[in-house]
Formats: sequence, structure tokens, C-alpha cells
Amino acid sequence: MQPHVTFLGAVLASLFAISIGGLLWWMLHPPAQIQPAVAKARYAVGAFKRILVPTSGVPYSEKGIELACRLGAEQKAEIVLTYVLEIPRTLPLNAPIPEVETQANEALERGKEIVELHHLVPILRLERAREAGEGIVKVAKDNEVDVIVLGIHPTWHGSQNIWGKTTDIVLRKAPCEVIIDKLPE
Amino acid sequence: MASATVPKHGKTELRRDVSIWGSYMWGYADVGADIYVALGLVMAYAQGAASLVFALAGIVYIMIGLAYTELSSAYPVAGGGPYFTLRGLGDFWGFVGGSALLLDYTIDIALFATASAGYLNFFMPYIFGQGIESFAISFGPFHNVNPVWCLETLFIIGLLILVNIKGIKESSFLNSIIGAVDLLAEGSIIIFGFLFAWKPELLAHQWNTQFPSLHNFMYGSSLAIISFVGLESISQAAQETKRPASVIPRTSLILIFTVFIFAVSFSTLGLGILPWQTFAEHMGDPVATLAHTIPYIGLIAGPLAAILGATILFISSNTGVMGASRLTYSLSQFGIISPWFHSVHPKFHTPVRTIVIFSMIAVIQTVLSFLTSSAIDTLGNMYAFGATLGYTLVFISLIKLRFSDPYTPRPYKMPVNLKLDYKGRKVGFPVLGVIGMLGVATILFEVVLTHTIGRIAGPSWVILCFVYYVWYRKKAGLPVFKSIKHDWESEQIEVLTSAEEYNLLEQYKLALAERDKKRKEIK
Repeated sequence: MQPHVTFLGAVLASLFAISIGGLLWWMLHPPAQIQPAVAKARYAVGAFKRILVPTSGVPYSEKGIELACRLGAEQKAEIVLTYVLEIPRTLPLNAPIPEVETQANEALERGKEIVELHHLVPILRLERAREAGEGIVKVAKDNEVDVIVLGIHPTWHGSQNIWGKTTDIVLRKAPCEVIIDKLPE
Repeated sequence: MASATVPKHGKTELRRDVSIWGSYMWGYADVGADIYVALGLVMAYAQGAASLVFALAGIVYIMIGLAYTELSSAYPVAGGGPYFTLRGLGDFWGFVGGSALLLDYTIDIALFATASAGYLNFFMPYIFGQGIESFAISFGPFHNVNPVWCLETLFIIGLLILVNIKGIKESSFLNSIIGAVDLLAEGSIIIFGFLFAWKPELLAHQWNTQFPSLHNFMYGSSLAIISFVGLESISQAAQETKRPASVIPRTSLILIFTVFIFAVSFSTLGLGILPWQTFAEHMGDPVATLAHTIPYIGLIAGPLAAILGATILFISSNTGVMGASRLTYSLSQFGIISPWFHSVHPKFHTPVRTIVIFSMIAVIQTVLSFLTSSAIDTLGNMYAFGATLGYTLVFISLIKLRFSDPYTPRPYKMPVNLKLDYKGRKVGFPVLGVIGMLGVATILFEVVLTHTIGRIAGPSWVILCFVYYVWYRKKAGLPVFKSIKHDWESEQIEVLTSAEEYNLLEQYKLALAERDKKRKEIK
């Protein structure tokens, strides 16, 4: 049989060779295998579906909110923001403190804005307690959170407890994991 | 759900030694062989529209492939389609899917053994001075009966029975080598063919003047689906594949697209080199006939394609014997058929009963099909029925499993999904799955409408199997239409652990934990 070369034939031959070659090349380059320990670690973080972040409206606690959002971004976690109003024992727990409440609501609104920037769902909780730590633990229990992200004061005032009283209570009594973010002094 | 539980059998873990290339070749040795049979058969009916018919069937096949990719990566066990149906629709439909696939495996043995002999007959004119057609005889109501070709086919099936009873393992390595050589040879035929022999004007002429009637178009398109049958092989080998959930989606996807490209290329090339009537006349060895006409390589490519065709079709025929054994083993584990089927030979340690029974069914099918005017056509008829019925059930199962088992991680999901709220969870409703199901159901309808033998033999086979199913389930004290209680969750954890798919295992455990937590909250 005499050869019969056409432009269209050459194009089809090239298309065929490129497509088959490309497909086989892609197939032979699978992603690397993940070790069991790596998978466990990866999905342990992926299991954070509800993250609690206490805020006091100061920069270090707002950085804690940003950190929580990034932790929960992949699995679209709910971010529970709480501001605990510490009520002195001289007052009843439900006594109105308008100035502090306004400050708390402003802090929660700022936190909400951060959460929404990440397209996550914010849940706002204004809690009243005698001790901030006790209030945080209560919110954690009530909302069945998976982890608490706590941004703490960057300066150490030389007390015996490096964490401060609030952090100490949260660490001791929290029903879930606790992540502490302490900025350098 | 019935309270009866399936009797536990000792589970033997298959060694995972099939690599990514091995997995692809496992499928290619099966599906890649189909074009050696389908090209002549489809050309004979679809005539000038053969490329269109291959492309249309190919689109449906791509959707079937995507469904299989999703399911076999999510459930990397050696059950294939019937296993997915069993999980999705329960025992009874699992049995129906299993019987359809068993029909296909027996036809697979008969059809590919016939085709393998057909390619060996390519050499007949050179050795005996006359072609295989010259041995055809007519007697009584039977016309064009070819006893020589029939005897050759029976000899091949006999050889397969012996090989499988003696337990000579099909080597994944050998599969890979033959598959790779075949891939290279088929690729070379297409590239050289398009470069040096293809005439677009001949293709256009055949398209314009030789377009088939509607009946032939439907018949041809329903036969074209057989050029894509065999995806099961990848699923069947899932339990021996390394990292199946990562490897299978890749190998399945690439297999789907390479086979599609090959099928459309071969038909386009064929219609641009030879008139479709030539392929119809050489139904036994169409690829070798095509290769033989290509300048420069034709002298070698023709005989090489014939040898490769005979070899790869022999392997494909063997896939039928092995597939039937594996499938009956899997079905018996789930209480669909009796464990009697997978008892092993005391000396050779092979499932001798399954091998003999299903190979003998293939022998009967072969003899009966050779009594018709075209054995390949008759066998193709029934092959299409089993495949389309099984695929339809797989699509329905895929849709059902999205709702009933949303917890199993799916490393690959069919694209185009509608997000729906279902029992407090977002579920992706597979739009392409529905389109694919309608496509396969249309082909099944075409089969029933146009295949005079397939529409009788296919359902008769399923009814025969149903009689056995009812007898066995009643005898074993198991419900006929209801399902036995299966512990799918433990099984899934076991499968993912043994497959070393730790990523998916953690995802699965997490999803189950979340579900349990939600259930607790509701309570």
C-alpha cells in the first residue's frame, strides 16, 4: 500500500500520542503515602469542629481568635467566642454593669468580624462568673466544644503561677483540649 | 432487616503486591482486549457511523467508569459490581447483579476464546492456503456453521480449565509485560495508520453514503458497549492492590480514557483506511486486518497484531474463569450462594467446582453460538445484556449509597453533584450518576429491543439463577427478599486498615464518631 500523508492525519496522530502519553504520565505520579501516625495527627486537628476562644478585647486575645479560625478553616469549624464578665462577690451575679457590658459586646463584635472574614460561623456568648476561668470552663461544657484556644497576657508579673489564675483554672478544669498562645514579652 | 446472620468463614487475606502499573495493566489486559472483538462486530452493523457509535457508547462508558472509580476506591474489596449492589440495595439485588456478572464471565470465557482462535486463524491462509471461512458448512436449519473454529475454541477453553485447575497463577508481571507490548503495538498501529494511511475523504464518503438504519444503529451502539467491558478487573484485584484507595481512582480513570481514545481512534482510523464491509468480513481478526494494510509496518504489524490479539484475548478469556471463581467466592461469603462453590481441590488447592461448572457453561454457550450464523455476534448479544443489567444496578447503588452511607470516605467522587440536606447532613446527589444510569438503561432497552437472542437468553439465565437462589436461601434458613444483617462498619475499618489507607481510616472513624455524637444529642 502506498503511503498517504495528510495534515489532518498527522494532527490526529499527534493528538493521540500526546493524550495517551500525558494520561499515563499522570497515572504514574500518585501522591506519597501517609504513615499511620501522620494520619492520626492530621485528623486529630481535623476533628476540631467547635472551637472556643475567650476574648477580652485586647490584641493578644484577638490574635487567639485569628489562630482559632485558621485551625478550623479546613473543616469549617464553628467558632464560639466568649467574653466572661467577672462579677465581684459583693454584687449579685446578674447585676447590670453597663460600661463593662458595652466593652464586652464591642470585643465580641470585633471577634465576630474576624471569624466572618474566614467564612466561618461565629457563636457569641456573654458569660457572667465570679472567676473568668470558671466562666470559660462553663461555656466549654455548655457548648460541647472540642478545643479551647486561649491567647494569654504576654508579660509575666513574677507570680508563682506562670499562666495566671484564669489559665490555671482552664487548664485544670477544661473538658477538652486547650491550646495556649502566649506572645513573647 | 432480618435478624439471621451470615455464617462466618475463615478469611484469607490476599497479599498486596499489585502496583499502580500492575493495576492498570490488570484492567487493560481485560478491557484493552475488547476492541479486538468489538471493532469488526460494531463495524458490521454501525457501518459508516461506527465512530459515532463508539463515541456515544464511550460517553456512557465514561460515566460507568466514573461510578466504578468512586465505588471501588471507597470500598476496595474484591467483589466488584455485585458487592456495591449488595451494600447499596441489599442481598436480593446483590444476587441479581451477581447473576448478571456471572453470565458475563461465562460469555467472557466463550467470546474471548472464540476471538482468540479467530486471530490465530489470521495465519491460516499462509499455512493451509485457505481461510477459516472455507470450512463453514450448512446442515438442516443451521447455516454457516464453522466446526473447525468451534473445535479450536473448545480446545482453548479446555486448556483454560486445565491451567486453572492445576493452579498456575496468572502472573501480574506477565500481564504487565503483555499489556505493555500490546499498548505499544496498538498505539503504533494508530499513529502510523493516521500518519501514512488515513484518508479523511474515505471516512467522509462512508459517513455520507453508508449511514446505518435506525435498527442497525441501535444494535451497533448496544454492541459497542462490549468494547468497554472489563472495568470489573480493577475492582476484582482491589484486595491485592497496594494502597487501593489511592491507586484505583488513578488507574480506573486512566483506563477509562485510554480505552475510550483507543476505541474511537481505531474506528475512525478503520473507516479512513478500509470500507466497513472489509471489517465485517474479517470479524474474527479486524485489528490484524487493519494493521496489515498500513505502509511500512503492515508486513510486521499484521501478524504481530494477530499474535498479540490471540494472546491478550486468551488472557481476557482466562479473566472470565478467574472472575467467576472470585465472584462466587465473594457471593458465598455474604450468604448469596452456597459455600459449596468455593471448596478447593485437595491436591491442587484450586476452586475446582467453580472452574469446571462455569467453564462448562461457557462450552455450552460456545457450541450453541456456533450453530448460529455468527458465533461472535451471538455471544456479543448476550454479553451486552449481562453488562448493561449489572451496570444499571451499580448506578442505582451509587446513588443510594450516597444517602445511606455518607460516612465512608470517597477518595474520588463522580463530578457534578447537587448539595441536598438529608437527615441533617449535606449529601451530594450525583447528577452524572443519574445521567449515566439513564444512558445504560437506554442501552439495556436497545439490547432488549434489538438482540433477538440476548433478550431471551439473558433474562432466562437470571431466572435460572433466581430459582437456585430461592432454593439455597430457603434451605439455609435465610430470607429471600430481605437482607441478612451485615456489620459493614467493622468490615470497612478492617478493609481500610489492611489496605494501609490510614488517612481514610481516620476520616472514616471521625465521621462515625461525629454521627454517634449527633445521635446522642438527639436522644
